[in-house]
Amino acid sequence: MKFDSVIIGGGLAGLVCGIKLSQQGHRCVIISSGQSALHFLSGSFDLLNRLPDGTPVDHPLTAVKELIKMEPEHPYTKLGEIRFEELVAEAEQFFSGIGIELAGSATRNHFRVTPMGTLKRTWLTLADFVTCENDIQLPWKQLTIFNPAGFLDFYPHFVADEFRKLGATCEVHEFNLPDLDILRRNPSELRSTNIARILDKPDNREHLCRILIRESSGTDAILLPACLGLDQPDTVRIIEERVGKPVYLIPTIPPSIAGIGMQQFLRNTFQKLGGVYMMGDHVMNADIENHRVKRVYSYNHGDIPFEANHFVLATGSYFSRGLTATRDRVYEPVFNLNVSYLKERQEWYTGNIFDAQAYQQFGVSTSLDFQAVTGDTLLSNLYVGGAILEGFNPIKEGSGGGVSILTALDIAGKILKDQSVWNCSI
Amino acid sequence: MELQHLTNDNFEQCIKCTICTVYCPVAAVNPDYPGPKQAGPDGERLRLKKANFYDEALKYCINCKRCEVACPSNVRIGDIIQKARIKYSRKKPSVRDFILSHTDLVGTLATPFAPVVNSMLGLKPVKRVLDLGFDIDHRRQFPRYSFQTFERWYKKEAASKQNQYNKQVSYFHGCYANYNHPQLGRDLVKVMNALGVGVQLLKKEKCCGVALISNGFLEQAKQQAQVNMRSIRESVVNKQMPVITTSSTCTFTIRDEYPHLLGIETADVREQIELATRYIYRLLREEKSALKFNNEKIKIAYHTPCHMEKLGWGYYSIQLLRMIPNVELKILPSQCCGIAGTYGFKKENYTTSQEIGITLFSRIEEEDMDYVVTDCETCKWQIEMSTSRICEHPISILAQALE
Amino acid sequence: MQSFVLLFSLYRENKIYPDMQNHEPNKVYDVIIVGGGATGAGIARDCARRGLRVILVERKDMATGATGRNHGLLHSGARYAVTDRESAEECIKENKILKNIASHCVEETEGLFVTLPEDDLAYQNRFAEACRAAGIDAEIIDPKEAVRMEPSVHPDIIGAVKVPDGSIDPFRLTISNVMDAKEHGALILTYHEVTGLILEQARVTGVKVYDHLQKETKEIRGTVIVNAGGIWGQYISTFAGIKISMLPAKGALLIFGHRVNNMVLNRCRKPADADILVPGDTISLIGTTSSNIPYDQIDNMMVTPQEVDLLIREGEKLAPCLAYTRILRAYAGVRPLVAADNDSTGRNVSRGIVLLDHAERDGLEGYITITGGKLMTYRLMAEWATDLVCKKLNIEARCTTAEEKLPGSRETMEEINQRISSLPATARKSAIYRHGDRAQKLAENTLQDNSLVCECEEVSVGEVKYALEELNVKKLVDLRRRTRVGMGTCQGELCACRASGLMGSSGIYCTKRAKQDLSAFLNERWKGIYPVAWGDTLRECEYTSWIYESVCGLKPNQE
Repeated sequence: MKFDSVIIGGGLAGLVCGIKLSQQGHRCVIISSGQSALHFLSGSFDLLNRLPDGTPVDHPLTAVKELIKMEPEHPYTKLGEIRFEELVAEAEQFFSGIGIELAGSATRNHFRVTPMGTLKRTWLTLADFVTCENDIQLPWKQLTIFNPAGFLDFYPHFVADEFRKLGATCEVHEFNLPDLDILRRNPSELRSTNIARILDKPDNREHLCRILIRESSGTDAILLPACLGLDQPDTVRIIEERVGKPVYLIPTIPPSIAGIGMQQFLRNTFQKLGGVYMMGDHVMNADIENHRVKRVYSYNHGDIPFEANHFVLATGSYFSRGLTATRDRVYEPVFNLNVSYLKERQEWYTGNIFDAQAYQQFGVSTSLDFQAVTGDTLLSNLYVGGAILEGFNPIKEGSGGGVSILTALDIAGKILKDQSVWNCSI
Repeated sequence: MELQHLTNDNFEQCIKCTICTVYCPVAAVNPDYPGPKQAGPDGERLRLKKANFYDEALKYCINCKRCEVACPSNVRIGDIIQKARIKYSRKKPSVRDFILSHTDLVGTLATPFAPVVNSMLGLKPVKRVLDLGFDIDHRRQFPRYSFQTFERWYKKEAASKQNQYNKQVSYFHGCYANYNHPQLGRDLVKVMNALGVGVQLLKKEKCCGVALISNGFLEQAKQQAQVNMRSIRESVVNKQMPVITTSSTCTFTIRDEYPHLLGIETADVREQIELATRYIYRLLREEKSALKFNNEKIKIAYHTPCHMEKLGWGYYSIQLLRMIPNVELKILPSQCCGIAGTYGFKKENYTTSQEIGITLFSRIEEEDMDYVVTDCETCKWQIEMSTSRICEHPISILAQALE
Repeated sequence: MQSFVLLFSLYRENKIYPDMQNHEPNKVYDVIIVGGGATGAGIARDCARRGLRVILVERKDMATGATGRNHGLLHSGARYAVTDRESAEECIKENKILKNIASHCVEETEGLFVTLPEDDLAYQNRFAEACRAAGIDAEIIDPKEAVRMEPSVHPDIIGAVKVPDGSIDPFRLTISNVMDAKEHGALILTYHEVTGLILEQARVTGVKVYDHLQKETKEIRGTVIVNAGGIWGQYISTFAGIKISMLPAKGALLIFGHRVNNMVLNRCRKPADADILVPGDTISLIGTTSSNIPYDQIDNMMVTPQEVDLLIREGEKLAPCLAYTRILRAYAGVRPLVAADNDSTGRNVSRGIVLLDHAERDGLEGYITITGGKLMTYRLMAEWATDLVCKKLNIEARCTTAEEKLPGSRETMEEINQRISSLPATARKSAIYRHGDRAQKLAENTLQDNSLVCECEEVSVGEVKYALEELNVKKLVDLRRRTRVGMGTCQGELCACRASGLMGSSGIYCTKRAKQDLSAFLNERWKGIYPVAWGDTLRECEYTSWIYESVCGLKPNQE
């Protein structure tokens, strides 16, 4: 199988990279070993919320200068201040260009609301979700939160408490629909996606709307956990029109409907552009000649290799098995690339789970251009992007989304500059 | 990269992300099914604690393996569930299950009386009896039996012409091509011959056993698997002839379910058992062989069967179809059609089965096309039963398009 | 939800949480028990059954000391047969009693003492002889037969002896004792730490306690004070100026992700490191290491990488699959070993039960100490202590704890299964496994109560409610010990937030405290995880951090 580019990893970084390449007519394949970490999306992408020393960041574009001074191996440092700013602008356009409506901008972080009601800084938020300009005052005086009775993956009382602290009146209303009892026959199924399948049925949606109308008089805005709109992205707009009041979503504990929607939308976009997406396959090994990856072999395709000019490794961190940790080392399992990690296992963690854990910062070392290195060899046509990279802490910095998106766009740009194109008829 | 495919404790790789349950077609429509996470890795831990934690609701799993395709942790969820059913289920298979699962036995009995059997199975009173007496849903149509099996046709019409080709392959036709739809087998011979490849039958072929496994006839399945593996080894090892197939499910069963569920090793010949479309793809790529096509216009939509999704081989069928000069090809979103072999024929599963497929059916009705194309015979039945479209195999489409 | 609203209002009216009521300040109890381990709970039960006015104070939750930090092995006594005949005889006697009175806490798995090629096979005969002499039914069997019975055992074993070992859940056992004590009038105060003993002349007349939840100090008066503080007993006695020399011996253990073995596996040799593998509920445990630690470190137990490596290395010899089985946690307990009174070097250690009447020993009335012993002999220890208490109170009452079954073990499980047959199968079986006949409390569950809180261990909303109502739950960690929420492979990844949400909305505490408690719970879990955080365990840690920190925005010490 011949392609211009083979992308290993089908999550946010792999898809963004694949879409940008395909938009320019490149023939790409994405090989993904299962669904991605996008399934836990909060509804927002973070760019930079905190510096490594803990300072909160309101203006990522200026704060990145500080970050660059602090973290020499950080992906943003490799990009540099100017490229960072260019890519941020490109990213914001990229999403609107493919039809994803996101609120926010990198000039100033805004706030999103978590399932427990905490306000967190973020960069871009999906249109239906609650956002605020600051964490001092809410834009509404009176709010009502509606929650399906017995839904345990969302905490309306926690949220209401936080909102009250910010000066709003906030009521919690539990609702029930007869069809939800069907789910309750199965104890493990009262999850966001299952509830969405019930609430998305037109009859049930109408039933819900009537409850919302009845119970929300005097309310400025209606808040719902993100457990609707699984197959229908415009559900919130439909409900808003019917109820006649602003309706916003608050994320839930995963699986995230917004994340599933995002994954599927990006994949469809990629496929419509001619990309090939292979799900549930695993790259097993590679042929490397003259410091270049020639072809890779996968579990499903056996002796039929994937050949390409360029390869991108975006297999994620531990969760997605882009990195593997054993008792005595951390390694990258596909190409055995150089990984930076601390040798003594004791140093990987501290005793407090809320500290920055060293293991979270381990990752694949690359050149400044995100080219992979194995031993002393630079693999000039293998780029590494996203969560697998070394030198950043996505949880503490709030930089996971930004690193995936920016490195993916940067790598795609580098590949596009290299103009040689193959003849890949079959 | 190591996949830890071989340890029995593969369920420990599950980190409870629940993505499998999101993509499970059964869990989406049938709340009585606990979902793959609960039925698979979670349940396995409990069953290891005490066997009585086995839940008979595991029978609702259709073994589509879409959970395994979606799993980011590479847990063999489907295998865990099927193994648990094999190990713990106390339910004895019924007469109905026997009839549905012994496809080649029933096929052998039905073929000589094909016209009678076909019209009988189509009669309303007969369907009522099947429904009431055997719990086979009366809304199902049985696949028609052919008067002449593929094997008989082959021996009479094709066998003697095959030796003229330098390259030879063995063909595992499966029950469907043999008893119900010999035309598929003929099409395969036509396409392979056009590529300069001769087609031989295996020394002895039995039903791959997929229905026996899912209905709990394990011993019978093992016996048949052993017969098949002997024939396959004779072809691959002794004669250096790879084995090609036209059914994605038979292929998947032989390659992966034999070792995973029946404990019958296939590793030595596994790479030599493949779908015809993959064989042809490789041939065209490596040897620059070519097929000559006519110029007829054809509009088709490809449906990816579940086991094809698991094999990851939809790409080959799609690439071959794209070679046809005047083809207009759409790819339907990969989703389960709901039939899952004999599952959808059972009365208790009919509603689930149809609900699983409903978005696929409406999508098919919306598209303008001549045929739905798919590599799976049971998807074909389901689509033909549930939509107004005709469903064809990619090999048949290729055969039709040949000059 | 309606049931929850009802529950909430009942709670507010203080109707359904009797143990949440404070003790009456002026009441003088017959007996104050200090320490909520198995022994303390056992004494509370025994005293209450003998008609005494009982109060128990515990600085944390029940079973948080050595009781909850061991193998959970229902010893047959075989392990001690060669080296300590007296302990062996006590064990087999109590083994038989516990199988009867605490059947829902016990699994009669049987055990194997196996001889590896590197071990001396001659020891096997000596071992079997000693077992028989102590009254333990030990049977030498063909090693091949042993491998067939327990496929996880090393296939190269050259000898095997079958003994009536089993597994016992120390949390369930302790709570059952508490329940029986409460049902006989005892008052149990958890999170009440003793900060002083009240001395009047040559007599202890009460304890000063600090209530960690209400953040206030109280005084409780009693006629006899029983120090059942285990290793912490040395510290408690200092309040009375009494010296008891404890020799803290740390023992580290590892928990594996699932049940590897169904029979207890022991090495047939003199007791040594990491030579017992016990199946317990959904998991298996290997242990222990053994090292002496300074007394001031007893609240500071960390498992070192060296201990982890040693446990895996030795464990593999018993069951080779441990080399690649996922490890969930590492933890360590402290054995409460007591130095013999006339021995200042501490070399003469008693592993047996030590009962000290401080009136005799130190001239201080109203104060006794029960310590030493082991989980297996908790009931016997309680009986001895209660006998002494009664003697001091001049009460004649017979001990019934050896015959009367504990709550949960009184009815046949088939009957209970019938009574709650409307519950979903897996959750029903799990609830019965955990609560025995008390699972029938779930009979009134509504559809909503069937929803799962913990998916790994199948804990339903109904079961959580039951625990909140009746099992002395103040914090998430307590709920874990009652129900196994957060004890499965995800270690709280999904269930901890659900459970804290339930506790928040049921009125156990406010949402602020709920979040604090959730943070504390995650850190409690983390302490046991990070010594073994690699492979899939580390993947799960990363995912847990994403959920709680990134998605939920949970912070430590939530403001």
